[in-house]
Amino acid sequence: MGMEASMKWVRAIVSLVLAAAVFWGLDNRHGTFPALGKLLNPFAGFWQNGSRSDAVPEKLVVPGLRDEVRIVWDARRVPHIFAQNDHDLYLAQGYVAASLRLWQMEFQALYTAGRISEVVGPVGLRQDIFTRRFGLPWAAENAAHAFRDDPKTREVVDAFTAGVNAYIRTLDRKGLPVEYKILDYRPEPWSDYKCALLLKAMAYSLSSYNQDAALTQMRDQGGWDKFPTVDRLFPFFPPLVDPVIPPGTPLDFTPLPVPTRSGAEGGGGNRAGERGHPADSRLEATPSDPGGFESPGYRTGPGIGSNNWAVSGKLTRNGFPILSNDMHLELSLPAIWYEIQLSAPGVNVRGVAFPAAPLVVAGYNESVAWGFTNGTDDVLDWYDITFKDDARAEYLTGSEWRKTTVREERIKVRGGAAVVDKVVYTHYGPVVRQKDEPAFANMNVPPGAALRWLAHDASSEFSTLYALNRAHNYADYVKALETWDCPAQNIIYADREGTIAIWHDGKFPLRWKGQGRYVLNGADPADEWRGWVPHGQVPHVKDPDRGFVSSANQMPADAGYPYYLGWDYASFERAGRINEILAAARDVTPSDMVRMQTDVLDIRARAVLPRLLDIIKEKPATGAEKKGFEELRAWNFEARAALIAPTVFREFWNELNRLTWDDEKPLGAERMTRPASQVMVDQILNYPDGEFFDVIGKNYPIETLTDIAELAFRAAVANLEKRLGPWGDAWRWGKVKGTTLRHLARIPGFSREKLEADGIGHVIGAIDTVWAPSWRMVVELGPEVRAWGNYPGGQSGHPGSKFYDDFIDDWAAGKPYELVFLRSADESNPAVVGRTVMRGGK
Amino acid sequence: MTTVLICLLAMLGLQLLTPYWWWVMIVPFAFGAAAAKSGRKAFRTGFFAAGLLWLGTSLFLYLTGSGLIATRMARMFGLGKSWLMVFVTTLIAAVAAGVSGYAGYAVRGLFKKAER
Repeated sequence: MGMEASMKWVRAIVSLVLAAAVFWGLDNRHGTFPALGKLLNPFAGFWQNGSRSDAVPEKLVVPGLRDEVRIVWDARRVPHIFAQNDHDLYLAQGYVAASLRLWQMEFQALYTAGRISEVVGPVGLRQDIFTRRFGLPWAAENAAHAFRDDPKTREVVDAFTAGVNAYIRTLDRKGLPVEYKILDYRPEPWSDYKCALLLKAMAYSLSSYNQDAALTQMRDQGGWDKFPTVDRLFPFFPPLVDPVIPPGTPLDFTPLPVPTRSGAEGGGGNRAGERGHPADSRLEATPSDPGGFESPGYRTGPGIGSNNWAVSGKLTRNGFPILSNDMHLELSLPAIWYEIQLSAPGVNVRGVAFPAAPLVVAGYNESVAWGFTNGTDDVLDWYDITFKDDARAEYLTGSEWRKTTVREERIKVRGGAAVVDKVVYTHYGPVVRQKDEPAFANMNVPPGAALRWLAHDASSEFSTLYALNRAHNYADYVKALETWDCPAQNIIYADREGTIAIWHDGKFPLRWKGQGRYVLNGADPADEWRGWVPHGQVPHVKDPDRGFVSSANQMPADAGYPYYLGWDYASFERAGRINEILAAARDVTPSDMVRMQTDVLDIRARAVLPRLLDIIKEKPATGAEKKGFEELRAWNFEARAALIAPTVFREFWNELNRLTWDDEKPLGAERMTRPASQVMVDQILNYPDGEFFDVIGKNYPIETLTDIAELAFRAAVANLEKRLGPWGDAWRWGKVKGTTLRHLARIPGFSREKLEADGIGHVIGAIDTVWAPSWRMVVELGPEVRAWGNYPGGQSGHPGSKFYDDFIDDWAAGKPYELVFLRSADESNPAVVGRTVMRGGK
Repeated sequence: MTTVLICLLAMLGLQLLTPYWWWVMIVPFAFGAAAAKSGRKAFRTGFFAAGLLWLGTSLFLYLTGSGLIATRMARMFGLGKSWLMVFVTTLIAAVAAGVSGYAGYAVRGLFKKAER
């Protein structure tokens, strides 16, 4: 072969390899970097995801429809669906939901199914393992079976599923939501199981928070004498808290006998370890974390936070009730809710829905309005399991060995081998973390314990929503609530007949007082759940004398209520503020209620600041300390974005808590929240010389509130200077808080970051950094129902649409929109901007 | 010039009919292998044909409703200006097509008898 010939070969091979490399590089993802060829292709990539798809189609053929369906679109892109039967109504809802939010629907489903690794690769594996260990896919399977057993739910869910699938079938590559293109995958068919996954995602978000492992450590650390400490720091009936059901409300039922546990009354729970488990070794596998307590900010996290109230016609200007609701959830884009009106013979309902499920969740019809706040009761327990041997095939219950079952979880991993996780199940539920396994980042899971969680049980929450959508009166509402199991909610109600009510609704195990506060003994049958609180006996009140009902996730009822439901409820501030405003309210109008939803008065600060400032008034030394002191002294206690005082107070409060509580924490405690704010407030106001202010491990001098307050103030100002620089604009609360709506897949550019808005988690207008009111609604009942609402986001889930985030600025400014509610598809309304006619076909 | 236009029209047709991006590599490769007079021309034809096609299409979309999504994509890629997405789109197509066209020509060289 000549020189020239071999040069040809070299040139051909090199250029071919180069071209192949370019092809391969552009056709594939690299880590999280997208496949550029596919993504940038102007004919099918992201360029096709512009706002041209915002045009309203006039006609659509949707296979499966029995009759014509008409959709009226208002100017905010809210669909008002008019169908001639239930089947068509929910099929159309599924189609419309998918057209607005398909990627979000499926991504949430994959997340809850423990399948996120299929999309994102190995970085999702630990999350998927946790999700599956926690039994979420199993729970959703149980729920889906329950749907299929109930003809009504089955019709609704099947129709919705058919609608989603009809939409998915219309999509070619070019029409896919842009996130599919970025992450380079395709939607798979929808199913009723995926609707169930949504329910379980909510159950996880709202009913899984627990401190059982941490409290158990705290109790066990110093032996029995520590009981009083646990009960004082984490009391069953905390100071200052005004319960949901007004104290003194008479019971309208005869209670069942309440189970007891000898020696455990009040102390809460038996001490696992009595039956031959050396108590001290039970949690030994827990790695110690010197940070022990988590920051108090974490408390506002897991679903703890929502407000609702309803004012009787006695107190309103037009003589009919007004209902208000704002549900606080983690902010995200696309938003967790979308607005919709659903109308068919027998139903005409307006409100918000989850994209991934049929029906309106919170809203109103022509007769009634309803809304939710989370119950946060204890429906999750851990049972320490005594395995016969390392095979974990048998475990002790009472005097017999029972067999475990194994659920094989096969996790597909993009760009890697599938992982098989064999999860051991007991009759309680799955063992989430074995003793020899590392901790999960998601939750403080006691090693070697089985999870008993109500959300694993089959239930029928969609039946409740179906009936609430169609409710006409109080009896309908009460009947609808019978099937609501989990997550427990304060379901508030008002109707045009003038009734207001609130039910703390859910399925609650019949417990002895304190049962499940600590890790229970899985070998002792006496520790099991024994029966349920009868549905008619959950805390509830109808038309109380005070003329209003309200809730803010606080303790549901005082000691007059016969059953123990849990102990870890929201702190006193929001409920206290709501009730103090409403107690003085007269001649109430909807705009009063809208304003009240954005009230940002911090009653925690109001309770303690005068005392604290009095203590430290002589002490400020540096310039920043003096300015901080003056700012706090002049403060009206409102958590406004433009003020610096909320920033200083929050840091001061954190430091007070740190210096007061962190020396009480158990040695080697993994994770645990500090005592609730009302306990701290109570200590400051009533026990300034109390033992908790004294620093443990230091004998002399004995510290009191005076010492701690000075130290805390100094440290707070120093922290802020270190973190934010010298006193100035950067200290303003809105900047410090930096409210952020993150895209679900954390895609930069698809999020809204560093929004400056009034509020903080523990005031009514609870806009915090990532937790905030996810839907604010005010409904004025009457001959003609009127309503206002807004949520952080926009109707469309498409980042290229102008409807993606168009509500956010008005939401942040506390401005709601009047909601369009049509009586018929033909009604003329200035807000109507388009109409779509859907017909079946083929 | 004519060859650029022919390549461009071929790609346009194939891209409208199918969702695949890689026509901007296949067509120049085929041209390079079948008709290019030199490696330089093969590269240039692919480069301009694909570049112009993707430039024209993305610019049109950018100006008629895809400006917002381009802004978000630019932020995702850490680019300051949304029009840079048009630039990047054009550049990617042009370079991929040019490289592919050259490779096509080079492969043809293997099957040609030595001409001199």
